[in-house]
Amino acid sequence: MPERRLVVIDPAGLHARPAARFVQIASRFASTVTIHLADRKADAKSLIAVLGLTIRPGTEIVLATDGSDADAALEALTAELGPYLTTATAPAIPSVVAEPDPA
Amino acid sequence: MVGLVLVSHSRTLVEGLRDIVAQFGGDDVPVALAGGTPDGRLGTTADRIVAAIREVLGPSPVESDGAVVLFDFGSAALSLEIALEELSPDERDRVRVPEAPLVEGAFAAGVQASVGAALDEVAAAAVAATNLSKVIGG
Repeated sequence: MPERRLVVIDPAGLHARPAARFVQIASRFASTVTIHLADRKADAKSLIAVLGLTIRPGTEIVLATDGSDADAALEALTAELGPYLTTATAPAIPSVVAEPDPA
Repeated sequence: MVGLVLVSHSRTLVEGLRDIVAQFGGDDVPVALAGGTPDGRLGTTADRIVAAIREVLGPSPVESDGAVVLFDFGSAALSLEIALEELSPDERDRVRVPEAPLVEGAFAAGVQASVGAALDEVAAAAVAATNLSKVIGG
């Protein structure tokens, strides 16, 4: 299941306009597209689910696609959402990929 | 494609909302307006709503995948009820009236319609907008 770590660079966060673009691009593909934000996730084909994440500027998200056209979907989303998102270069934020540390 | 019918007491309110749907959903999404009274006052009339619904539905089912109607408050609900009774059964089958907020519902439904979603999916997107948290952290 391909996935990519991205950082929201738009100063307003992932607000209405990019959220709408997310849904429109993701809906072109048969694959499921999921946005992970820390321990929460949203179906990227649902506008309300995407907006419900309240993704703030500078936040790292993980975009995961699953299905027959998963790679193409990930490429399209990364390319077409370029004005809003950039590929994360820093090490992964552990909250997404690992269990939280015990207190 | 599914279209939207926007009903409000105010003509300018639904004109602005149409701009929002066009910006976020795209120009392809059909939108018809029933805002204000024929003599330019604030209010709603069943005739205008019927005309707007028929504008979206078009002359035959080939032209449109249906209409989702969103409205503001008060007498709009009554005018809409009268308008729905004016429709033929075939027309009525292709209309959905979701329990949804006008502005957020139109935004969500417009985006959903723009991806070619079915009539019930577009209506469901408007309903889902009801529970969208608005205040940051709220």
